[in-house]
Amino acid sequence: MTDTTSETVRVGELGPTGAFERKAQDAGNHRVRNLLILAFVAFAALWPLVHENTFLLTMGTLVALSVIGATSLHLIIRTGHISFAHAGFMGVGAYVCVLLVMKLQLPFAVSLAGGAAAAAALALLIGPVVLRLTGKYFVLVTFLLGEIIRMVFVEWTSMTGGSNGIFGIPAPYPALAEPHAFYYFALAAALLCVGFCARILTSEVGRAMDSVRESERVAQCSGIPALQLKVTIFVIACALAGVHGALLAHFLHYVDPSSFGMVDSLNLVVMNVIGGMNHLIGPIIGSVFLTILPELLRGYVELQRVIFGIILIVVMAALPGGILELTARVRRLLASRRS
Amino acid sequence: MSTLLQVEGLTRVYGGLRAVGDLSFSVGQNEILGLIGPNGAGKTTVVNLVSGVVKPSAGRVAFKNEDVTGMAPHLLARRGLVRTFQATVVYGDRTVRENAMRGAYLTLYPGFVATLFDTPAAKRKREAAEALVSELLDWLELTSVADTIAGSMPYGYQKTLGIVIALAARPSLILLDEPVAGLSAHETDQVRDTIKRVRERGITVVVIDHNMRFISGLCDRVVVIAHGQELAQGAPRDVLRDPKVIEAYLGKSYAAARAE
Repeated sequence: MTDTTSETVRVGELGPTGAFERKAQDAGNHRVRNLLILAFVAFAALWPLVHENTFLLTMGTLVALSVIGATSLHLIIRTGHISFAHAGFMGVGAYVCVLLVMKLQLPFAVSLAGGAAAAAALALLIGPVVLRLTGKYFVLVTFLLGEIIRMVFVEWTSMTGGSNGIFGIPAPYPALAEPHAFYYFALAAALLCVGFCARILTSEVGRAMDSVRESERVAQCSGIPALQLKVTIFVIACALAGVHGALLAHFLHYVDPSSFGMVDSLNLVVMNVIGGMNHLIGPIIGSVFLTILPELLRGYVELQRVIFGIILIVVMAALPGGILELTARVRRLLASRRS
Repeated sequence: MSTLLQVEGLTRVYGGLRAVGDLSFSVGQNEILGLIGPNGAGKTTVVNLVSGVVKPSAGRVAFKNEDVTGMAPHLLARRGLVRTFQATVVYGDRTVRENAMRGAYLTLYPGFVATLFDTPAAKRKREAAEALVSELLDWLELTSVADTIAGSMPYGYQKTLGIVIALAARPSLILLDEPVAGLSAHETDQVRDTIKRVRERGITVVVIDHNMRFISGLCDRVVVIAHGQELAQGAPRDVLRDPKVIEAYLGKSYAAARAE
């Protein structure tokens, strides 16, 4: 700080103008935002009606399901931790749900709850230990944790069928065997999940999460139980990941360990990064982007990962706030044109 | 004057280094106590030990006659003992008002389920917190900058805001870790006046600094530490004349010259 600025500082005398240029973002864009959300939901609801293509419908279902995984990971990210074990928790939910349905003949709803509870229980066991770590150490440990979970799926052949996985998983309910019905089922689940996450983030819990992420020390000294909060969010998010995994298994009618490895965890992280990590809409955009992009690049199978990597690097270098930042920049540009 | 905070035999050892050794002091109700010492004396370690950020190797901390040794910061905050930090004092990307609201967590937070459903109890708590924050901002004359992003403000404002965040937790004792480090003389005087006004709210203050002028103009009593040990204790005027204190700050030759 230069001397000139420090001399002008008199608490209460200096108005809101002058030295302060960055003002708080106005909340006036709420109506535009709500309209956009409404348009997006309407588009999603009408998606199966605009074409007769089963492939596009399947893509829609996969996007809806990965929205659940990506937004639940977003909750953990908003507490300041990037988990690379999220696909592992998906797998726990998937296997537990499938086994409850197929071995114990439990109803799907009960099994789904069981799968989510199993993922949550594992998170509750591990969370209090790993959430004490920060930054790259947390990433490293969750990365290994995800691999351990995957290895359990591979090795516990009597239960999981090993690398071959489990085939012939029935549709959740006979009515959902029809692709359109499952699409709407997945869409409803995704909307519920997004709504729940949005509610958490806009509540006082969300405020506390932001405090902890931005400065854990200060937050604690204001009485926020940081670790307890982070474990709670971790457990909720992992339960939702379990729901994602269970629904995916029942949609694809099979489950095997290769869907729950490092690459899948990385995909969920990248969905958040590419869409924007600072807002719940980020992982939704990321889910759409990352589910469809590999399909568009299918003609270049060998180059797919390379192109993928290049796109990622460009987005992260040019737009650290993800695709969402693009809209903010355009808005700023328009505002500066006007004035 | 009843004792609010009692520290006995506080010790912290890092490997072979004794950062704080057998330190004892007490703070009375509504007192302003200064903890001073040259750089590296262990002042910040003492704050970290008392505020639960670092666990002591030995010794005892009692707050309101309760043993709180090594208790986590958020539990201490709940009991009314709140601290500020030397460096990162505010949430830089947020408005001044939002910063203060976050500090008011204990008044604001209605419980997990209650906040999700925004129950009447949650609304009442939010209103109470908003009233508290408005009152605090008004009281420290920050209302005109309430909607400014905290990180864009001059350092002096951010330091004051750090105190607001601490006060929003409704503490009975606040620990201020170097509240005037890096401030100009003029800003320092303002922070001093602010702290005096904090005391008028019935809040006990422990302030850590090495700025002698600031401390002597503010505190009722000071504890001088050097090399983690207590050097002197008493009223600022007496303590600052103590040859041991002068020697610790300015070296032996200066102390000898002064004594002649």
